[in-house]
Amino acid sequence: MGPSILDVFKEYWPIFLKGTIGTLRYAFIAVAGGSVLGAFVAFAHLSKNKIISAISSAYANILRGTPLLVQMYIAYFFLPLVVPFLNNVDKEVYVLIALTLNSSAYVSEIIRGGIKSVDIGQSEAARSLGMSASHTMTKIILPQAIKNILPALANEYIAMIKETSLAGTFMLYELMYTRTILANKYLSWQPLFIIAAIYLILTVVLTTLVKVLERRLSVSD
Amino acid sequence: MTDMQSPLIETVDLKKNFNDLEVLKGINEKIYKGEVVCIIGPSGGGKSTFLRCLNMLEEPSSGEVYFEGEKLDPKSTNIDLHRQKIGMVFQQFNVFPHLTVMENITLAPTLEKKVPLEEAKEKALKLLKQVGLEDKANEYPRKLSGGQKQRLAIVRAMAMEPDVMLFDEPTSALDPEMVKGVLEVIRKLTDSGMTCVIVTHEMGFAREVADRVLFIDEGIVMEEGTPEELFNDPKHPRTKEFLSQVL
Repeated sequence: MGPSILDVFKEYWPIFLKGTIGTLRYAFIAVAGGSVLGAFVAFAHLSKNKIISAISSAYANILRGTPLLVQMYIAYFFLPLVVPFLNNVDKEVYVLIALTLNSSAYVSEIIRGGIKSVDIGQSEAARSLGMSASHTMTKIILPQAIKNILPALANEYIAMIKETSLAGTFMLYELMYTRTILANKYLSWQPLFIIAAIYLILTVVLTTLVKVLERRLSVSD
Repeated sequence: MTDMQSPLIETVDLKKNFNDLEVLKGINEKIYKGEVVCIIGPSGGGKSTFLRCLNMLEEPSSGEVYFEGEKLDPKSTNIDLHRQKIGMVFQQFNVFPHLTVMENITLAPTLEKKVPLEEAKEKALKLLKQVGLEDKANEYPRKLSGGQKQRLAIVRAMAMEPDVMLFDEPTSALDPEMVKGVLEVIRKLTDSGMTCVIVTHEMGFAREVADRVLFIDEGIVMEEGTPEELFNDPKHPRTKEFLSQVL
């Protein structure tokens, strides 16, 4: 069986800490980048222009309908061939691009759903006052939509924490990658339970925080 | 006198379809400055759709709407300028829940008409006083009753200094005890000479305030006349039937 889980953790905790930080960081970059990109996709999807709307809808469907791991492989092996200026950058960037694009698809649906959740009467009232479409969006719809969007975005971050485990496949230093490091030291099973426990703690703690956030946001309703 | 002769709002063969459903089948109406027009009729007859076409919240399938002599085009950018002069009050109030009562009123004037905030606030307070809500200025709408929300919605529309007010069943979503207060506010408006188009189920109210009553059913104006003509001596069998059911 080898050393106990506790012994392994005591010995190698800096590795797990570094992996955890990597996980949180990659997930944050993916969701932050995904949010910016996702906002554009969401507005494009809501556009009255049917072509723009169809393109962004297809974008979201493709990224949500194919496995993230496949997307990562495509980014890793195909992107350097077609985007030459990326040739000299760290391989990490390709994987992060895949994570960000993938996240943007989910975030775009979150934002679109948040906007659509605002009663149509709100925009009708604003427009009937003579408010422009853009003022209606920025002053009336978005401030109300944000209450639904923020908790969902936080949940997307939690989901992304788990998704980034795939990045270890490409030697990115995140939590799952610690398994590879320690497997070289003939520790086959102990790290897995430590990794699982850390993921669980992260998601449980963050989910609790999201619930608090949700309660706070709903107070003003 | 010329002002009286050119209508404030005119619809020409106004038609509206929702997919295969023909909701408005050609309405020609003229509404003049200072007039109070009440629209009655059964649900689904097209009266709300007609009202919503008057400010292009509903885009007509064919036909035209003229406001102050200009054709309304929902795709043109100056539709916002026209809408600033056409106030609208909804059945569901549609007050902005994330803004205080004061902000609900001052947002559009400061944003779209560049009224200085202090001036807008002063005006808002004056209007709030008229409807008995001055002590609610800094509350959020969730603290208001339905009747208070609707009075706020009326004030919000009035703050844009519109030339006409459209009311879409303004009391239909209210608890019975709230109806009177809202009707009182609308009555004050009509008394002040504001042009009003009111879709309503309150027949007593329509009879009292209207200069003219339209009975809209099956997508057309089936009958119209003064309240006396329409309520006391309806001509069309559909009007008679409808009135016998609601009166």
